[in-house]
Amino acid sequence: MSPLYHSRRQLLQGLAGAALLSQMALPALAQTRARLVVVGGGFGGASAAGAMKHLMPAASVTLVEASPHYYACPFSNLVIAGLRELDAQRFDYDGLTARGVEVVHDRAVDVDSIAHTVRLASGDQLAYDKLVLSPGIDFLWDAIEGYGREAVERMPHAWKAGGQTGLLRQKLEAMDDGGQVVMAIPPAPFRCPPGPYERASLIAHYLKAHKPRSRLLLLDAQDSFSKQPLFEQAWAEHYPDHLERYGAADFARVVSVDPDHMVLTTEFDDFRADVANVIPPQKAGEIAQRAGVADATGWCPIDPLSFASTLQTDIHVIGDATIAAPMPKSAFSANLQAKLCAVQIARVLGGLGPEPTILTNTCYSFISNDAAVSITGVYSNDAGRLQSVEGAGGLSPLNADPAIRTAEALQAETWFKTLTQAAFG
Amino acid sequence: MAWRATWQFGLILVGVLLSGCGNASRMDDAPVPDLAVPEAGRAATLSLACSGCHGPAGGAIAGLENYSAEQLQSEMMRYKTEPEGNSVMHRMMRGYSHEDIEAIAAYLGAEQAE
Repeated sequence: MSPLYHSRRQLLQGLAGAALLSQMALPALAQTRARLVVVGGGFGGASAAGAMKHLMPAASVTLVEASPHYYACPFSNLVIAGLRELDAQRFDYDGLTARGVEVVHDRAVDVDSIAHTVRLASGDQLAYDKLVLSPGIDFLWDAIEGYGREAVERMPHAWKAGGQTGLLRQKLEAMDDGGQVVMAIPPAPFRCPPGPYERASLIAHYLKAHKPRSRLLLLDAQDSFSKQPLFEQAWAEHYPDHLERYGAADFARVVSVDPDHMVLTTEFDDFRADVANVIPPQKAGEIAQRAGVADATGWCPIDPLSFASTLQTDIHVIGDATIAAPMPKSAFSANLQAKLCAVQIARVLGGLGPEPTILTNTCYSFISNDAAVSITGVYSNDAGRLQSVEGAGGLSPLNADPAIRTAEALQAETWFKTLTQAAFG
Repeated sequence: MAWRATWQFGLILVGVLLSGCGNASRMDDAPVPDLAVPEAGRAATLSLACSGCHGPAGGAIAGLENYSAEQLQSEMMRYKTEPEGNSVMHRMMRGYSHEDIEAIAAYLGAEQAE
């Protein structure tokens, strides 16, 4: 029994989600001493680092992540609505360190794709044979006039979880009954397509329970949105007096804000807010621009088989930063793309080509404290792009028995545990 | 089919990558990679999606470790073919071919043999 097999079995026992990966450690690839660097410690990057170390234990795998903790976005809308504590969203990187990943808490500030190096804020350089960028999103600060970095204290975005999540919650709790909450929703594409509407549902839930004379107004740059019939049914049923939405057809795209006077301006009117949540338009995380893997859209084109950048060699991009539609910018997508990317890198380093497969996405959105709805997608990647498999995927049923909504809320809990354990466990 | 009867198929890619390998003892030998078995790669990559939800966390989504290949295949086929089904698994499995379901079941089911 070689040490490799021995450790493979040990890993099988100990790793969440690794059972499915454990079968794939190829001895030839396991011996590769390649230098593998991952930038970004979210669901994509943490999963990729763990999976690559697992598949190629002799390789050096380095994860670059500025923050010592990660606050998960999924379930963070429950925190905003007072239904969950922020601590439950917090994960660290000790699990990855224990699995042999070198975790460097520094900020990647530049990539030299010719020299194959990543420069860190400390001045250190990391050389790589393969680089995986999982930078998530950054905001387009100039897209809404008046909404710059200094505006986020008065008008939190709460679209990267952590302090902003807690801040939005505090503002809701401090608001007098009878106040108006206004949420600005950006045009697609953005992180977590159903996220604003889950948040709207849960804020309305909070208002109905704690501030019944208050209401939430959605100023939405989109006309149609993810899980729309399910959300609209839930709003009509649960929150008819607490939630109102205007869409792009109503000229409701927010074009400017005045944080000092708490005013949001659309294409046709001004709206005063007691609490404002401005979700700005987005692009791939800044390092993607520095690395030259983002195109004119601000997002990163990829080869759908391996998530290799189509713009630079030996760099892969996964997660929210990619152009992977119809696959959405979700934690589930990032985790699956990470695992697939790791396998394909291992295959390529072992002299095999990447090969087609089927990918999926599943995410749940809460419509109240104990009810959720889901969306499912199934995607092929063998035709030069990701495309939805016809006849598959879709939404939870409309007009469903409440037991179905409760069951999906319970499934969501397991989904969260499994996904976070796979990434950070 | 012969490959379904061979539990090594699902056990590890290593097993099938050893050219002509038909018994587990070869796994203790120094590995000689034979990279000409792409089917195993597809079964493995197809199965990556399952681990997004199915893990050891417990709760409302079943772990997969206690099911045989036959059980897994029969469940997945049930989800694929029930016309009125609207659970996450029903919606998902409609996107997989019979062959892919068979390959996933063989791959994941065989894991218990270890």
